[in-house]
Amino acid sequence: MKIAVAYKWAPNPQDAAVGADGSVDWSRAKPAVSEYDPVAVEVGRRLADATGAELVGLSVGGPDVASPMAKKAALSRGLDSAVVVADDALAGAGTTPTGRALAALVQRLGDVDLVLTGDSSVDAGAQMVPAVLAGALGWPALTDVVAVSGTAGDLTVERAHAGGSQVLHVTGPVVLAVAADAVVPRVPGMKDILSAGKKPTEEVPLADLAGWQTAPVEVVATAGPELKVRKGQVIDGADPAAAVTALVAALRADGVL
Amino acid sequence: MSEPTAATGPDVEPDFDVIVVGGGIAGCVTAYRLAQAGRSVVLIERGEAPGSKNLSGGVLYSRVLEQVFPDLLTSAPIERRITRNYVQFLNATSSVGIDYQDARLAEPVNAVTVLRARLDAWLAERCEEAGVFLMPGVRVDRVIREGGRVVGVRAGDDELRAHVVVAADGVNSFVAQEAGLREKPPTHHLAVGVKAVVRLDERTVAERFHLVGDEGAAYAIVGDCTLGVGGGGFLYTNRDSLSVGVVLRLDDLVKRGLRSTDVFDHFLGHRFIAPFLEGGEIAEYGSHLVAEGGLEMVGHIHTDGMVVVGDAAGLTLNTGLTVRGMDLAAASGIAAAKGIDEALTSGDTSEAGLAGYRRELFAGFAGKDMETYAKAPAFLERTRMYEEYGLLLGDVLHSVFDHDLTPRRHLSQVVRSELKRSPVRLRDLLSDGLAGVRAL
Ligand SMILES: Cc1cc2nc3c(=O)[nH]c(=O)nc-3n(C[C@H](O)[C@H](O)[C@H](O)COP(=O)(O)OP(=O)(O)OC[C@H]3O[C@@H](n4cnc5c(N)ncnc54)[C@H](O)[C@@H]3O)c2cc1C
Repeated sequence: MKIAVAYKWAPNPQDAAVGADGSVDWSRAKPAVSEYDPVAVEVGRRLADATGAELVGLSVGGPDVASPMAKKAALSRGLDSAVVVADDALAGAGTTPTGRALAALVQRLGDVDLVLTGDSSVDAGAQMVPAVLAGALGWPALTDVVAVSGTAGDLTVERAHAGGSQVLHVTGPVVLAVAADAVVPRVPGMKDILSAGKKPTEEVPLADLAGWQTAPVEVVATAGPELKVRKGQVIDGADPAAAVTALVAALRADGVL
Repeated sequence: MSEPTAATGPDVEPDFDVIVVGGGIAGCVTAYRLAQAGRSVVLIERGEAPGSKNLSGGVLYSRVLEQVFPDLLTSAPIERRITRNYVQFLNATSSVGIDYQDARLAEPVNAVTVLRARLDAWLAERCEEAGVFLMPGVRVDRVIREGGRVVGVRAGDDELRAHVVVAADGVNSFVAQEAGLREKPPTHHLAVGVKAVVRLDERTVAERFHLVGDEGAAYAIVGDCTLGVGGGGFLYTNRDSLSVGVVLRLDDLVKRGLRSTDVFDHFLGHRFIAPFLEGGEIAEYGSHLVAEGGLEMVGHIHTDGMVVVGDAAGLTLNTGLTVRGMDLAAASGIAAAKGIDEALTSGDTSEAGLAGYRRELFAGFAGKDMETYAKAPAFLERTRMYEEYGLLLGDVLHSVFDHDLTPRRHLSQVVRSELKRSPVRLRDLLSDGLAGVRAL
């Protein structure tokens, strides 16, 4: 039995530059395993250990997804093996082709009743891939998952819910998007990275996947959020007492107090 | 193998032939060369991405790295070939410069600008291709010593063992200090560098610095750019950005009660510097220590089971006009790999067995240059360099060019009278001049 975890080799948004026209320049951004995906790996690891399942990482993207660095970074976090599709055609792909390509990989893998994903990717953050992936597989998807127990195909799933939580019993195959704070993922140590270098990874040619191209959704444009015009008033804090007086006066003048 | 050591003894089988700590230029070159020689090598880097933690002004004297990577100039992320060197004495309201352009600097290429985030990532990739096991995102915490020799490193709960550990962890090397090989450097051996990368478009860079194609300019600046603190400023052209920053002697900065960021802001806002940067966007910003002790700082660079390379070994040269460290880092990597390979072959990785590294280093240009410039640090501590000479030059030229309807005087008279007004004494001028000629 296998549990799959979908992970993204994503550029770090801290190094991205947003132009005045809303365009995003990712050229200086260094890729890494997307920030919240290790949480899904950790949830998967614990479940796999408890049930004797194999934990397989799945990733699709541009050529660097198959780089030794990317594979080691993912495998050192607790996966048993990885299957990736690394193709120029999938570099920076949107949520629909990504979700569909992942679904095709899951089908190809076979013997999978549970796919875990992170909450959202660190770069685009669309929170769409789990739903597209589940839709393409014809499986249900549950988001905001904070705890999972049982065995794949017969699971008890806890979801964070406004003002409380929801516990669901799920039978049959399912896609679970794990909340960013579900568990604290392990920090890979030297031995983890060493053994990651020896774990099996399979690279599947994109041509072997069917049905990923259909992309009825297209990004028309991106734009930065409009900034509210602020007063930009700065009060000198050298003399704290005077600063407080000035601040209170300013807030009064604007009717805040 | 001649005699079993603690690391190679029967009970503990080492994980690798060599552990390299630090994926900067020194570490990458050492690891690459050893992998090429067929050794098993792990390269441990604390940054998640190699290069992410590293900072240089950005002029790389590239010939030595070309020895390691013959395709460097065509394959590596090189920004521009430097063909124009500008030496600038910057005062608050005047500036005197020497503009040196030379087509001979383009062919063969002598110096190029680089951005470390890109170069180091490329070097690490080349290492991986050569068979180095890359381990990013791991910070080495301790050196493991057994039976008086270094046998491995520890990070978190994990240990790795090797026949030789290479400390390539940069200035203030904690690994070398841990191993008891080096002391913490005194502040007068250190400077702090603050640098920004300002993004402009390629055409603007070419226009502002009169550049053609991929040719580039390097400005070395002293004087008001540092508010008189010992050190200097630099302004280097990249393809579509500028690297701009200051290098400040730590002891002098502290003595004057200034903050490095204030000096940096002052420099960027200077009336003769700001126009170069106008309209640019800050793409990177960082600060880093610079080793400035020269030869005196090099000291011990190998011991039983360990060698020290690059900045960690104090291999930086500040001659006032150029800060060199990247080329020396590469040269020490080449020498270390040779010394280690020989030691592994002979089976003797003791201090004596690894001595080939030091011999190799001092037989080449890197060690020789450290010796040649041994007096440079002391010379650069002479503070007149940073304020008074620039002003004197500016005032002399002002008297020459300012036709204020007073009768003209001979240049020698102008110089003499400006010298009289300046706090610089003729004696100082002679002594500094002589010391400069000897030290540089
Ligand atoms: C402002 C400034 C301007 C400069 N300008 C120039 C210039 O124009 N030309 C030039 O040639 N030189 C210049 N230098 C000097 C040059 O940057 C250095 O000499 C050069 O970077 C040395 O390379 P290195 O590989 O020895 O060390 P670094 O480049 O410092 O690499 C050390 C590596 O070790 C890693 N590391 C540290 N500790 C650990 C640990 N415990 N575990 C794992 N990894 C660790 C670091 O993350 C880093 O990647 C400049 C320096 C500064 C600060």
